[in-house]
Amino acid sequence: MNLRNAFITALRALSRNKMRSALTSIGIIIGISSVIIMVGIGNSARIAVKKRIYTAGANAITIYDSQKPLTMRNLEDIKRMFTQIQYITPQIYKSKLLVKYKKREIVSRIYGVNNDFFKLKDWDVIYGRYFSDLDIASGNRVVVIGETVRTEIFGYVNPVGEIIQIDSIPFKVIGSLTELGQAFSGRDFDNLLVIPYTTAQVRIIGEKKFDEIITSTFSTEEVDSTTTSIRDYLRIKHSIPPGKPDDFRMETSKDKLKQADYIANVLRILLAFIASISLIVGGIGIMNIMLVSVSERTREIGIRMAIGAKRKDILTQFLIESITLSSAGGIIGITLGLLIYFLIVFFVNWPFLFSPLWVLISFLFASSVGIFFGYYPAKKASQLKPIDALRFE
Amino acid sequence: MKRNIIEIKNLYKIYGDGEEVNVTALNNVSLNIKEGEFIAIMGSSGSGKSTLMNILGFLDLPTSGTYILDNTEASSMGHDEMAEIRNKKIGFVFQGFNLLSRTSALENVELPLFYRGHVSSHEMREKAAELLGLVGLSGREHHHPNKLSGGQQQRVAIARALVNDPSIILADEPTGNLDTVNTEDVMNMFSRLNKELGITIILVTHEPDVAEFTDRKIIFRDGEIVEDSPVRKKKKKS
Repeated sequence: MNLRNAFITALRALSRNKMRSALTSIGIIIGISSVIIMVGIGNSARIAVKKRIYTAGANAITIYDSQKPLTMRNLEDIKRMFTQIQYITPQIYKSKLLVKYKKREIVSRIYGVNNDFFKLKDWDVIYGRYFSDLDIASGNRVVVIGETVRTEIFGYVNPVGEIIQIDSIPFKVIGSLTELGQAFSGRDFDNLLVIPYTTAQVRIIGEKKFDEIITSTFSTEEVDSTTTSIRDYLRIKHSIPPGKPDDFRMETSKDKLKQADYIANVLRILLAFIASISLIVGGIGIMNIMLVSVSERTREIGIRMAIGAKRKDILTQFLIESITLSSAGGIIGITLGLLIYFLIVFFVNWPFLFSPLWVLISFLFASSVGIFFGYYPAKKASQLKPIDALRFE
Repeated sequence: MKRNIIEIKNLYKIYGDGEEVNVTALNNVSLNIKEGEFIAIMGSSGSGKSTLMNILGFLDLPTSGTYILDNTEASSMGHDEMAEIRNKKIGFVFQGFNLLSRTSALENVELPLFYRGHVSSHEMREKAAELLGLVGLSGREHHHPNKLSGGQQQRVAIARALVNDPSIILADEPTGNLDTVNTEDVMNMFSRLNKELGITIILVTHEPDVAEFTDRKIIFRDGEIVEDSPVRKKKKKS
């Protein structure tokens, strides 16, 4: 028997039991669609997280003070010593500040920085301007507001030039930022205020120190070496003898990316593992149905053998049946999975990543589930003796 | 003189482990059958007639002795070779029809051609339709077996047996499940195939009325042939 005839035979047999064939495929459909959905979401999440990390600045190195405060002196030293540095800004941070404008109010957080901050984060103003040199030099009470602050307290009013009260201190709004979006935790990135660091030191915290220094290099390759150099510089400045731990903390966007990648990978493996279990369950479903089918169709097998079917013909027929079930399940599962995945990322506003490789892998995997779990029943069918099979009631 | 299509010499079939509990189903059977013969094999159950049919049909191999069908000897054959002979040289007709359910008459008749290979689906269709016409079932090609009467189902089975142009047709109690009218119908069909097309037909039966239709009667008892005689035809009722 040639393969074409084997296909016709198998398809006829399956169509004789449409309901059963459909139900058998469901296991595979669920398995494959969950693989597609989970891998897809895993990948999308990874990209989304990466984007977020880059909004903290590509090639960024953050120095956190922990015991000794970071100073303007440190910042200027670093800027002068390392020519590979593109942007550098101090950062002073304070949260839970009450912002008032006329009768409206909102609780927000504040960043005291210089103009490099905007470039480093790649944040744009939609209304107004950034800080002027004068603003920074004289510690002017000027503020650039986030999108949430703007919509909450100004509504449709152009905020530029308006005066708002931040913890009862009047500030003049000079600009408003573009929308940044939400963190996965639900934290609103747009609920923020940005003021010159000099103003923050004098008006908000009352201390001449920085919480962080954020800097970035021109190229990604320079991040690691620059981190080491800054560390050496700070250790000398803080007179830390060799062998003693740092009294400050440094983190690069690469570190964050690594962490995020690690989490994403663990998540992906976990999801793939769960999805594989459902595929195996689907495969066992196929095996179960094929076994039932073989014993139910013993007489048919006997007839086929009597009229000239060889063992390998019977084997082929039943294998094709199970492969057809699993492959059809695979195709439907892939379609369904992509659809659900698309809907999910559409609603959470993540990127949709279509990976032909994963589609191919899923399809091949579904087919091999059919081969793997269909082989035993098919073998069993082909080993029947024609006389016994014919007499089977 | 017509040639022997079947030659059987000193055939034994012994079931069992060869040590203690052995059942001798065929005991030194020798038999020649010529091309174009129409033969009834009779005997009570356990007489060995079914065992002989299985061996004749290449569904089983003898323990010893020789069986030659159409110049092919059945000794130490593998499963595949036996399947091929069943496919090319033998047409089976069974008591229980053994048609595939939920499958049209046409597809049932086509089935042996599927396992032959090198036959286009167009040829298959044509051949199957032609044979359904021969057994008088034109117009019922797309009926499923459960929509056909017993006699019609058996005629579909006969068409299926003929589709591969076999050397012999083996019919195992072909009328066992049929009423008198259908029995006569099917037996007339066999007679016609034998007389008009010269097809060799061997059928097993325990009904003397059925054996009446044949030309030669072989009676088995305890694995041996006890009678082998021509059938004297009664005058047909008209």
